[in-house]
Amino acid sequence: MTFRSKLFWVFTLALLLSVGVIAAGVTLVTRQAFEDLSRRHSEALAAQFEREFDRRRLDVAHRVQGIADAEGTVRMAIELSRPKADVSVYVNDAHGVSQSHQLDFLDFVGNDGSIISSNEYPARFGYKMDWLTQPQDWATLGSFLTTVDTQDGPALGLMSVSTVRVGDSNLYILGGERLGKDFLASLVLPAGMRALLYMNLDPSFQASNLIDDSGPVNLGERFAPFIAQEQQQPGRQTFAIAWTPDPSGSEAFHALPLQGRQKELLGVLLIGNSQQEVVELERRIRLLAFGVAGMGLLVGLLLSWWGAARVTRPVRKLAEVAREVSAGNWSARTDIRGRHEIGQLALAFNQMTQELTEQRERLLQAERVAAWRELARRLAHELKNPLFPLQTTVENLRRAKEQNFDQFEEVFRESTGILLAEIENLKTIVGRFSDFAKMPQPELGTVNLNDVVRAVVKLFEAQFGAVGRPPITSELHLEENLPVIQADATLLHRALENLVLNAMDAMPAGGVLMLRTTREDGGVGLEVSDTGTGLTPEECERLFTPYYTTKQHGTGLGLAIVQAVVSDHGGRISVESETGVGTSFHIHLPAKPPQMPAPVSAPVQSQAPTPSPVEAPPTPESAPSEGA
Amino acid sequence: MKLRLFLILAAISVTLVHAARLEPSRRPRYGATLRVEIGAVVNSLDPAVAAANPEEAAAKDQIGALLYDHRNPDGTFAGVAGSGPFRIAAWDPGKHVTLAASDSSRGSRAFVDSIEIQMGRAAKDRLLDLETGNVDFAELPAEQARSASDHGVRVSASDPDELVAVVFVAGRPISEDAHAREALARSIDRAAIVNFILQKEGEPAGGLLPQWSSGIAFLFSTAMDAAGAKQLWSQIAGSPTIVLGYDSADSLEQTIAERIAVNARDAGISITAESVAGPGSASPNFDARLMRVRMPSPHPREALVNLVAMLGPLAALDVAPLPAGVSSDEVFDRERAIVNSYRVVPLVWLPQVYGLSARVRDWKAPAPGESWPFADVWLDQESQ
Repeated sequence: MTFRSKLFWVFTLALLLSVGVIAAGVTLVTRQAFEDLSRRHSEALAAQFEREFDRRRLDVAHRVQGIADAEGTVRMAIELSRPKADVSVYVNDAHGVSQSHQLDFLDFVGNDGSIISSNEYPARFGYKMDWLTQPQDWATLGSFLTTVDTQDGPALGLMSVSTVRVGDSNLYILGGERLGKDFLASLVLPAGMRALLYMNLDPSFQASNLIDDSGPVNLGERFAPFIAQEQQQPGRQTFAIAWTPDPSGSEAFHALPLQGRQKELLGVLLIGNSQQEVVELERRIRLLAFGVAGMGLLVGLLLSWWGAARVTRPVRKLAEVAREVSAGNWSARTDIRGRHEIGQLALAFNQMTQELTEQRERLLQAERVAAWRELARRLAHELKNPLFPLQTTVENLRRAKEQNFDQFEEVFRESTGILLAEIENLKTIVGRFSDFAKMPQPELGTVNLNDVVRAVVKLFEAQFGAVGRPPITSELHLEENLPVIQADATLLHRALENLVLNAMDAMPAGGVLMLRTTREDGGVGLEVSDTGTGLTPEECERLFTPYYTTKQHGTGLGLAIVQAVVSDHGGRISVESETGVGTSFHIHLPAKPPQMPAPVSAPVQSQAPTPSPVEAPPTPESAPSEGA
Repeated sequence: MKLRLFLILAAISVTLVHAARLEPSRRPRYGATLRVEIGAVVNSLDPAVAAANPEEAAAKDQIGALLYDHRNPDGTFAGVAGSGPFRIAAWDPGKHVTLAASDSSRGSRAFVDSIEIQMGRAAKDRLLDLETGNVDFAELPAEQARSASDHGVRVSASDPDELVAVVFVAGRPISEDAHAREALARSIDRAAIVNFILQKEGEPAGGLLPQWSSGIAFLFSTAMDAAGAKQLWSQIAGSPTIVLGYDSADSLEQTIAERIAVNARDAGISITAESVAGPGSASPNFDARLMRVRMPSPHPREALVNLVAMLGPLAALDVAPLPAGVSSDEVFDRERAIVNSYRVVPLVWLPQVYGLSARVRDWKAPAPGESWPFADVWLDQESQ
């Protein structure tokens, strides 16, 4: 993943998190606001109900008192106060009086608590309402809620009691309004709200006792647990009922207990608030928030992309310049300017590149001088050996000529023979240098490295066990399924010969030569190990330097040739060695060289010293040009 | 002496003059129209056409008695319409009928020239017309007699001759439980029904015949026994509910049924009162019915036979027939057997109550089996 992509994703993630947090916050705050609004609505309606309830209390008390003050009632009380009064004549009076005073319930009750006339239950005349004769139960209450026995069963009533006293005899007037659907219909409710009344007339929950302003409530049994809770512990509570799986179908309820004279639970007022409007409003707000967030996110993504591109452009330029430098273009420079960190980095990079270029030039120059010196030393060393016999032979030949030696002819033949041999030797030396300088370009073909290894080992098998030489044991660990590679078999053969020769030279007392081929990522691997004397770290560092050798008669070109071949194939070579234990060369060859390497004859730079294990890069190795 | 004679003659003269001034109002007069309002609707006066309901049949019988002079043993009329004291002058079926006095009647001519009968008048309208003097005669519900009297209406009531009773429907599980029947019978406060619902117009019924007819009605208890009822009901297995039916068109039946329900519930009896489509109709959903049976005759045997005939099929009364000429003891035994079975629970005896205008003279409430004596009444013109 590129830095730009990373930066883009970081920006995007930060943006997403920000938008998510804001959206969640907005949603949470909105929901809390709506819940608060809904709660306030319910509380307002509960307060309205309480006000209406209080108003009805006063109204009922006023109307009952009006009945008590009416002339007909007073006359009734007077008549009933007389001994052996005939109460039967008043048995139907409650009906007419209740209608004229618009009361649902009305009872005339005698001094002993017997019902004289009842509107809601005409057939109950003569039965007693003993609690009425105990004024302390109701006198201080004004109007109160109570259950009323009616012809159709018990009902809830908002009742008031007035008394007409004549002498020692009381006539009680108990009147009130039914607390039912008409009462609920009289409540003014905002849209989406409704009021329900549960009449606690039975020991357990009965759905038929739950009504709204039109009658029994559908699916009333859903309220059973909440009513049961009120029955166990009366108090205000809020709850919600989901009528449908869709959240908009839910309804929040505010329960208000209605208690009677003895604080017994007689009913529960349920104020329902449909969540449909709230949910839909929430959805609209959420949709709007998501739309805005989406647009913001889109704009943010574009800005992130643009910002990432803007931020990474100088970095990318810097990377491109770094790649150019790494590719050998030491003159590459970046034109990034600015006081910001990237500008300072670019400036530092340019300075560093400038510094490296200068150091490289100095190093090249030093290495070139060192290489020339080494070449000169090697040439001097190589050429000095044949030159001395040549000089001696020529001097012997001149002396024999000057002394007119009889055997001049014989001496001449021997001398010319020696001269020719030494000249041949010189030509060989020169030829070897020439060969190194004229390393051919690889001619690629399909090569199985195992075959090359086997061929080389077979070539040297005779020398491994030669008479008069400590035996060398060869061990082959060849990967059976080694893939073929595109390479020049001849060059690989030559390189491997050099490695094997090198190993044999490293094992004058005999030992084990191990060759191993392996399947490696993108190519094949070759390991050549010996159990020879090993190399010091310093020797390892200079091992691939042309003309460097640790042997008395070596040219120092063998391993340089190996490295050149490996490099020409796009591979790499490294060495591990431990003094007294042995040395291992590791070669990696790609399945196919990435590009044709530059000719060996091209000017190359000397390899920088590398720590052990030494690995030579796959770039053209530095070597003195043929002309040098 | 002369003075004493003068005073005596003066007193006789004043008395004669005063008597001469009062005489016309006390002497029956011919003429005028008797205005009658009834609640029933009579659609046909033809004796061969059956009445749609008992109310129509009763009204048709009363009108028929004015038109015909002879009645067959089965109660139907014989002869032609007009052979009686009145003939039909105008007839609007179901609404109105005008009867004119017949001069060719075998008996003496009726005092009134005509009778205008308005049919289908509601009780409250009849009472209102009586109060305002727009009608001379109207039937009144017994429970309104006191109220009508308090409002200045002249009220006439017969001896109590209509029995209101609870009849258990045979075949219903609860009806076949003697404890349940007796429990309900004991739980009812008959006195309260008479005093409050009937406004003391009527009397509690313990037997199937009224005291004035049998003379032994006091032997049957009419007292309420809630404790006994509760004990009896507790002996019943399960939790049965008695469904008591009443005529939906009869407000008195409804009120009595609701009071019975209150009494019964007070005794722990589970009971519901529900309306029935019409009088006398039975429904498989009802365990008991509130029924009203009027005595066809003041004689105990005939009255009891009629009652058994009326209620027997519904209650499946197992009573031996009462032949003519049986002793009063046998009639009492039959009556006691029925009462003790609790299949018929007598509640109250109702009188027939009539409202009369002030000008109606010589009115006498008819006894059971008798018709309205419109041929004998006359109207005092000065009393209007």
